[in-house]
Amino acid sequence: MAHPTLPSDDELIPRLLANDETSYAQIVTAYHGLMVHLARAIVGDAIADEVAQEAWVAVLRALPKFERRSSLKTWILRIVSNTAKSRLRHESRTVSLDESLEESPIIDPARLKPNAHWASPPAMWHADTPDALLASTELRRCISDALATLPPLQRAAVTLRDMQGLSMEAICKILEVSESNGRVLLHRARSRIQMAIEEHEGQ
Amino acid sequence: MPSCKDITEHSSDYLDRNLPWWKRMGYWLHLAMCVHCRRYVDQLKLTIDTIGKSPEATTPNVSQEEIQAIVEKMKQSTKNKDG
Repeated sequence: MAHPTLPSDDELIPRLLANDETSYAQIVTAYHGLMVHLARAIVGDAIADEVAQEAWVAVLRALPKFERRSSLKTWILRIVSNTAKSRLRHESRTVSLDESLEESPIIDPARLKPNAHWASPPAMWHADTPDALLASTELRRCISDALATLPPLQRAAVTLRDMQGLSMEAICKILEVSESNGRVLLHRARSRIQMAIEEHEGQ
Repeated sequence: MPSCKDITEHSSDYLDRNLPWWKRMGYWLHLAMCVHCRRYVDQLKLTIDTIGKSPEATTPNVSQEEIQAIVEKMKQSTKNKDG
């Protein structure tokens, strides 16, 4: 969905193509924060802003060829994602962006019986609302650390879905993954955070 | 009927209502009988809501100065292209 303060893509795109400065300011105001958020998820804090700025130049360069197969917002975020992935590959800071799709179990196999039912089931947590969980400084740090150690595409999926509320369809286009891979990325990310909370709660 | 392992592997699809109806039925039946998996799925739901309320979920702030600087860069890039 387009940003509520922006005109429709049909109105905005011709203005951007005509180098209208007011439209530049409008679209940067609407999307730059989101772009930095996504870039942070993929490349980390240090160069996220630089990646988002680089993406704006790439957006303007590619705009005449934009085929409207997605919304302008989704297309811009895809450029951010690709710019960020290129930076990561260039800097060789990660072996594989797709680490998350490797076959590793969601639950530690030691917690399951041979018949695939629980041997060591989840314990109760001390809190049952997000606010109550986040009231603990230690747990906030634990969640923050768990988010920081997710593989880049998992972190991007959880940022776009659970923090920014984008649809899975848009997220898969942005990250250039299939629908099923997008769902795997998201579920693995959520499960890792859940396990981090569980470990903390079990202490 | 799915096993507890199946429940853990597809719990996001269940919560996001992305399972076909027949799988959803099996899932629902398992949850009706298994207190451990009910707790597991409830905790996943709580995790998702907590991620959404965590400090990391806040969209980074962008100042007017930053916006203006980016707009200038954009103008410059189109001038370079046109020139």
